[in-house]
Amino acid sequence: MRRSIPLAICLIMGIVMMVQFFVPHPISVGFYDLTTKWIRIVSAFALVLGVGSLILYHLDRLQRRRAGWVYSIVTLVALVVTAVIGLVWGVKPGSPLQEVIFKNMLVPLNASMFAILAFYMASAAYRAFRARTKEAALLLIAAFIVMLGMVPVGAAIWGKLPEVAEWILSVPNMAAKRAIVFGVALGAIATSLKVILGIERGWLGGGK
Amino acid sequence: MSIWERLLKIDRKIIFVVMAVLVLFPLLKPLGLGVSSGPRAKAVFDAVDAIPPGKTLLISVDFDPASMPELYPMLVALMRHAFARDVKVLLCGLWITGAGLADKAVTEIPPEYGKEYGKDVVYLGWKAGVDAVILGMGENIKNVFPVDYYGHPLDSLPMMQDVVRLRDIPFMVAISAGTPGFGDWLLYGQSRYGLRVGAGVTAVSAADAYPYLQTGQLTGLLAGMKGAAEYEVLVAKKGYSKAYMPGVAAMDSQSLAHLVILILVVLGNVAFFATRMKRR
Repeated sequence: MRRSIPLAICLIMGIVMMVQFFVPHPISVGFYDLTTKWIRIVSAFALVLGVGSLILYHLDRLQRRRAGWVYSIVTLVALVVTAVIGLVWGVKPGSPLQEVIFKNMLVPLNASMFAILAFYMASAAYRAFRARTKEAALLLIAAFIVMLGMVPVGAAIWGKLPEVAEWILSVPNMAAKRAIVFGVALGAIATSLKVILGIERGWLGGGK
Repeated sequence: MSIWERLLKIDRKIIFVVMAVLVLFPLLKPLGLGVSSGPRAKAVFDAVDAIPPGKTLLISVDFDPASMPELYPMLVALMRHAFARDVKVLLCGLWITGAGLADKAVTEIPPEYGKEYGKDVVYLGWKAGVDAVILGMGENIKNVFPVDYYGHPLDSLPMMQDVVRLRDIPFMVAISAGTPGFGDWLLYGQSRYGLRVGAGVTAVSAADAYPYLQTGQLTGLLAGMKGAAEYEVLVAKKGYSKAYMPGVAAMDSQSLAHLVILILVVLGNVAFFATRMKRR
């Protein structure tokens, strides 16, 4: 019963949602409106599950004194402090959550993390980007052209460089990209059908 | 130890310092390399330019402070372009971390053009459930966002009398740093409601957007800092704005950063092959 009811709901809703997409009847549209409201409610419950899971994971790390357990304290304190500030003073513009947590903590921390990537990329490219094989050499040349073609200095070196970079991006890159996207889409369709038909049951939890 | 071997073992701190100096230098003393606009940025510009005055441009702020240097200039340039043409701007976001960034733009840009909140610009804010949010907006925006980001009921905002659902919006630009982002707007907004979508993305994720450009699903694309700079140049050329162009200013730094990486890769390869030949 605990398994068959969720499986039945999934089968019925999966088929109904597929069919309603192609049927513009008022009943179909009304049903669709209702389900989008349900999705928003379910999304809100997902937050509760996510926070619960995060707390349990970090409490476990603390209890077992796993490597880096001190960071778990930081995570839990940050979670509690942010939540309390949000609950007491709200999330509106001008609130401590926006002014202190977002503007003065999240923005500089996030921006710094992204900015130092450039330094690591330069160092990593210097150490690891080697033309050891024909394929690696080809990748290296393509990367060279695209990197130069995407900045004004590339056009200053050779006027046609941006066009060559553009060709690499829109022809060979696109061919590979499209193949990957098609593959992923077909995989998603197959997985969705397996879920709808009850063949794939991982989402129920607890393994097979 | 030969010079090549020494070169291979160069301390990474030296690389960091070289990079820092070359990135900072053009910010203090611009090189003025100039930016030319490509066809994809032009397509976004033309689409915004074609919106009749009084109609609405939707901008989805789907990024966080990490990608702010690349994407925020796009948001500002798009808003300036719209306001200069008396096009109204409706903002929303699929990333909660973008809420404060959109608020910053809504606070700073409209006064430059004497535009009023509620009449010329509205910021809806963020709501959980990406697909449900877009699908819900397709039916009725007020169902998803009964109040805006600042707590005003949507019924009390004059601009929202004409904008009921996505079909009332001639064009939108999703400024995305990843997922959720322009892909979700294409999947739900465009395929179901026929919404015309343009995108602004980070340079690293530009390749993901290319297939949708060729199929015509994406009207145009602003890719990375260059895309932002291209749009700023287009807006300035038409005389819509005379403001400082952060994207254009940063392109000099980016040019030098790319050059440093390329020179380092060449040096690394030369040293690698020289030491390998020596060993043989």
